[in-house]
Amino acid sequence: MTVHARRVWQRLSPRMLLVHPVHEVLRQIPLLIGSVVLGSATGNPLWTLFGLALVVGYGVARWFTTTYRIDADEVRLRTGVLQRKVLSVPRNRIRSVSTDARLLHRLLGLTVLRVSTGQEARGDAAFALDAVEAAQVPRLRAVLLADSLAPVEETGRELARWQPSWLRYSPLSFTGLAMIAAAFGLVYQAGAGAALQNSQLARSGVEVAERFGVAASLVVAAVVVLVASVVLSVLRSLVTYGNLVLRRDAELLHLEHGLLRVREHTFDMRRLRGGTLREPLLVRLFGGARLDAVMTGVGGAGEASLLLPPCPRATAESVLSGLIARPDVVDGALLAHGPAATRRRWTRALTLPAVLLVAMVALPVPGWLWPVWVVLTVCCALLAVDRSRALGHRVDADWLVARAGSLDRRRDCIAAAGIIGWTVRQTLLQRRAGVATLIAATAAGVKSYRVIDVPAELAWTIAAAASSWVADNAWARS
Amino acid sequence: MHLAEPANPPSRKAPMVWAIGAAIPWLILAAGQAVWFAISPRLPWVHALAAASTVLGIVVFVVVAPLWRYRVHRWDIDANAVYTRSGWLVQERRIAPISRVQTVDTERGPLDQLFGLANVTVTTASSAGAVRIVALDSDVADRVVAQLTDIAALGGEDAT
Repeated sequence: MTVHARRVWQRLSPRMLLVHPVHEVLRQIPLLIGSVVLGSATGNPLWTLFGLALVVGYGVARWFTTTYRIDADEVRLRTGVLQRKVLSVPRNRIRSVSTDARLLHRLLGLTVLRVSTGQEARGDAAFALDAVEAAQVPRLRAVLLADSLAPVEETGRELARWQPSWLRYSPLSFTGLAMIAAAFGLVYQAGAGAALQNSQLARSGVEVAERFGVAASLVVAAVVVLVASVVLSVLRSLVTYGNLVLRRDAELLHLEHGLLRVREHTFDMRRLRGGTLREPLLVRLFGGARLDAVMTGVGGAGEASLLLPPCPRATAESVLSGLIARPDVVDGALLAHGPAATRRRWTRALTLPAVLLVAMVALPVPGWLWPVWVVLTVCCALLAVDRSRALGHRVDADWLVARAGSLDRRRDCIAAAGIIGWTVRQTLLQRRAGVATLIAATAAGVKSYRVIDVPAELAWTIAAAASSWVADNAWARS
Repeated sequence: MHLAEPANPPSRKAPMVWAIGAAIPWLILAAGQAVWFAISPRLPWVHALAAASTVLGIVVFVVVAPLWRYRVHRWDIDANAVYTRSGWLVQERRIAPISRVQTVDTERGPLDQLFGLANVTVTTASSAGAVRIVALDSDVADRVVAQLTDIAALGGEDAT
């Protein structure tokens, strides 16, 4: 099919005639329950059938009313059964194309295709073809990106592939605990709590607990929750990232992952403005790191910008240095921020223990609180040490590197060409300490990247080293 | 190297307008407290505490903050860049190159209209890089906008 032949309104895959009604039925369950009640109350089952037919008909109508076309300069999507809507995106604004296939879609060989531009688009404003046949995706992607990209030969170079050993970084994440908490919340919401209170199960549970002693039961419960959380975290990580492949085809970066729900992202390399190496404490302890892309037209946080999930640090570093062709930016030594910045880390970390100490001296407290206070203070001190060691930056005419944080340490590597504004921010305490936070504004990633607590007299020097226009104006003094 | 401070202060009416803007919610709060005292004058120390914190809030936000901000706020434009200083407790100096400017907006709130002031916002492709020049006299604001749009040649390279 030539590009010319695509310039007509096209429909989504006919297989969506199966998916839309199912989705509508799931979405309109209250209406269906209403029609069942009406049907049995009036003794006329036709009401029930009528309700079902209405919902299914609406689902079918959605397929007939959704069309898209790819023109020379823009792509358009018409949707809406009752309220018509046309969404159009200029083709030269397309920054990335991603695909996503949930289970039902995969069973039918379908894929949702999303087009992302520089603008933030949420919910209905996002351009999504839900869904097209999986076999059409490579051609559609080529057509959609053709305007902003040179033709791509299929001989890509593989940058990284998921290894089973990467799973060792996942047991210690909090996703498992979060999933357990969410499940409990859901069950309680559904009224199971009240039902459980008087049930046989709860009574026998209480009896068992009394027989073994409360402390032992609590320990057993904690161990069970912990094991469950570890298992869930590992499973989730396996299902989400197992079979992850990061590939580079000339100017395109291609990420594919997911065992059940398959996700594919295609990034335009010319929009890459750097990368962020993230090392959450628990991942860092095992020598791991994760990698986010800093890219215009791609949201900076979360799933959208992910390039590598927690993986060996060396892998993340070599992939990033391969992308930006500057190994010294990725793992080179950083300039520390000096004693004032270190002092501020200590003051902050020890404020909470100090306040607690005053409170505990002033008020009568049980004796076992003191060991707890000592442990807390030691943890805070370790945090201060780790945070002040992390602080650092590195700058030259092409790259700005900033590192900070302990629990969620990040090393931001930002291309100087992408920086379009500088802010020097000082709180009252920072002015007294003679330090400042330097903020680089860019159109990519999370939009603002901070160099925390640099000596105040160095702030503009760093900015000028990365952006020559900072030194080239009426206010620059040497 | 360092950057000299930007040269131009905001309008002379700026502290008054900021003070009035801050005074309105505080006076509503004070009126509320007066009504509360009139309705139920029991627990005098609670009323005294509430009145004291309101007075403190008024002194800080209606008197100190506007004067402090007026001393800090400065702006300047040259052929290449826009440069501002703003804030009071937290102070910011922000610079953006005019070649990367996307839009120049003027905005007047109800108080600004009453006193003939205007705020100019210069946006770039980064949501973190917008430069705001606040509380300018209207004629100055118009001149700033004309000057910026003149140099900016809007629609050029914006680093997206």
